Amino acid sequence: MAVEHEFETIDLNVNIGPQHPATHGVFRMVMTIDGELVVDVVPHIGYLHRGAEKLSENLDYRQAIGIQDRTDYLGGFNCELCYVQAVEKLAGLTPPERAEYIRVILAEFNRITSHFMFLGAFGTDLGIFGTAFTYAFREREYIQDLFEEVSGDRMMYAYFRPGGLAWDVPDNFKDRVRWLTKQAMVGFGDLDKLLTDNEIFIARTRDIGKISAEDAIDYGMTGPMLRASGVKYDLRKDEPYSIYDRFDFDVPVGRHGDCYDRYLVRLEEVRQSVRIIEQAVEQMPDSGPFLPEKMPRALRPAPGEVYMRCENPRGEYGIYLIARGQTQPYRLRIRSACFCNLGALRKMTVGHYIADAVTILGSTDIVLGEVDR
Amino acid sequence: MSEEAKAPESTQPAEEAAPALIELLPVRQSIGIQLENERLRPVEIERPRALYRSLLPGVLQVPADYVLAAARKSSLWPMTFGLACCAIEMIATYMSHYDLDRFGIVPWASPRQCDVMIVAGTVTKKMAPAVKLLYQQMPNPKWVIAMGACATNGGPYTRYDRVLQGVDKIVPVDIYVPGCPPRPEALMDGFIALQNKIMEERSRTG
Amino acid sequence: MSPEDRRREVKEAAIVPPPPGSVADLFQEALPDVEFTATQGVLDVILIIGRDDAPPVLEAAKNHPKLAFDFLRNLSGVDYEDAGMEVVYHLFSYKHRHNVTVRAKMPADDLHIKTATGLWAAADWHEREAAEMFGITFDGHPNPVPLLLPEDMLDHHPLRKDNPLAPLEVWQGTMLGPEMARAGYIPPGSGFEVQAEEEGEE
Repeated sequence: MAVEHEFETIDLNVNIGPQHPATHGVFRMVMTIDGELVVDVVPHIGYLHRGAEKLSENLDYRQAIGIQDRTDYLGGFNCELCYVQAVEKLAGLTPPERAEYIRVILAEFNRITSHFMFLGAFGTDLGIFGTAFTYAFREREYIQDLFEEVSGDRMMYAYFRPGGLAWDVPDNFKDRVRWLTKQAMVGFGDLDKLLTDNEIFIARTRDIGKISAEDAIDYGMTGPMLRASGVKYDLRKDEPYSIYDRFDFDVPVGRHGDCYDRYLVRLEEVRQSVRIIEQAVEQMPDSGPFLPEKMPRALRPAPGEVYMRCENPRGEYGIYLIARGQTQPYRLRIRSACFCNLGALRKMTVGHYIADAVTILGSTDIVLGEVDR
Repeated sequence: MSEEAKAPESTQPAEEAAPALIELLPVRQSIGIQLENERLRPVEIERPRALYRSLLPGVLQVPADYVLAAARKSSLWPMTFGLACCAIEMIATYMSHYDLDRFGIVPWASPRQCDVMIVAGTVTKKMAPAVKLLYQQMPNPKWVIAMGACATNGGPYTRYDRVLQGVDKIVPVDIYVPGCPPRPEALMDGFIALQNKIMEERSRTG
Repeated sequence: MSPEDRRREVKEAAIVPPPPGSVADLFQEALPDVEFTATQGVLDVILIIGRDDAPPVLEAAKNHPKLAFDFLRNLSGVDYEDAGMEVVYHLFSYKHRHNVTVRAKMPADDLHIKTATGLWAAADWHEREAAEMFGITFDGHPNPVPLLLPEDMLDHHPLRKDNPLAPLEVWQGTMLGPEMARAGYIPPGSGFEVQAEEEGEE
């Protein structure tokens, strides 16, 4: 995009440094700007590289669950589910029915909390400092109360185990879940009314950060970013894992691939998650074991490898696990959704203004723990 | 302490002439080691002296200290320095359920106008120079709260060699809040402890 | 677990031939003169090839109409110690909805392989990370600078098996007493190992 100059100008290098209120964590962008127009952007990551993969090689299969929580700390149950299923596939364990239902319910609640965090943070990025966050966190707190009742911790649960769960849920679990689904939709309605038909919001997110379906597939993008570009692919429907094939839900798909579509896709996913939870809580058996009967003391999966992929709130979370007959994994590679989504940042941002760059980064919904591991 | 962070300078045991010789040969240290040492050098701690301590007679400094400490502790503005998972619990503490605004604590993004830096999350060696720079940009008097296990001593990631084992290796820390992540009530407890500390140390701040 | 124990107990997975009509047959059709070992993993078919066969195999995977793997899910490096290293590609096709895993082996003393960035733009960042974690060189990569690690100590690759994680009371860039220096892992070439010996003598 050439801009006519009446006098000589040079392009400026701006460092949006690791500490910035809009960067969702320690992420650094070096932008080359021509006035307000972004000519080039180079993302620098690695400020939160903590060696999750290396540490997992020295930990037992059960101890490594704690590392998985902290990789994508906003969608902890989904990451745990992926890892635990990878170990189950190698070790040949089948979790009992009740454990499967509880895992799905908690994973979907975690998807709801993660999308609430996105809605809050996205509003904040666009300048509604405070209101969007307070609405979002009000509902998150109710759901985190459920997580605390079930697992003991608000955020780093370490509750799933290969084969099922660590312990059983409390007796009032079903009633709590039913109450929570109604409560979550109340706050969700508030956020919806605040943002969706808001003229300023639409003006700031329509046609910003467009990426076509072919480019999105080429860059390896998955999740809501890919579905907003028009590709209908959801791992829960197309490569179903756990018991997702028993539930009836829709997959929202966008049309334009811009920030507004990504926002709408995530908004609709919250409604679909509530649908899944309502069906799961009806189908769930009232009592039953939460671990299989023949549970080995020291978990030594058969030698082999598996690439288990799950639908994280951010995209496809993959665990490539190589076991070689010991109590510790040989190689645990974490394929995180945000790492691949962020690779396309340059493609989406060049040609927009600086303020739009912040919007695009917000719509990517990155979690630096996942990007850097 | 800054000398310890530099690489050793002699191969022969206890010879005074050897350091000077080795300093002339920079090839012994690779650029990576030099960068690493620079990154891990702790920040210089300033000892500022407020003007009123030189102007006012001692007996008037006592009520002045009291008033200033009461004012400072009631309006602590932390810098939004959330690094990792603890940042989410920090934000939850600011929000409506466990409100921090009732203590006068308002999150503020710019380090130039902040009182306290909450280091929430793991500090890696790549991030260490940024932490030091932000600490130096804060005006006096300033305090640091190390929130979470990672900021205290490296946390669950302490065995990885790219992780700084605690932020107190580079900046001086006043309050440590344990937990992984600490509950919002624990962070509030940490802030109240900081307020008590400010009040108790009022005659010693510059 | 010490490295010796770890090596003693290691077992390899058995090669299970995949069922007929799977992706392996399509690959055999597309590239009749490339030899590879096909095995049925837990979820996908795994093809094990040599490093020099990797460029034609990946290109056929992307461009051949029956294969059409347009989505590079994951690219990882694996260190198999004496058996060399591997670069593992996980591919998916949106058109035909099939998966495959391609493992390209390379010997331990000759770690380089042609880059896949010409085929999939997603390979860019994955290869940069594999390069700095394992020391694998990707020939033809447009921007081979470290991605996650801060410094230029390119002789110290964290995810290699001969870089063990240090014990808990480890030296990490600050001076410790002689008993701690003996307990810790000190990267070679850092200059600190001399100090440790000195302190141990005292």
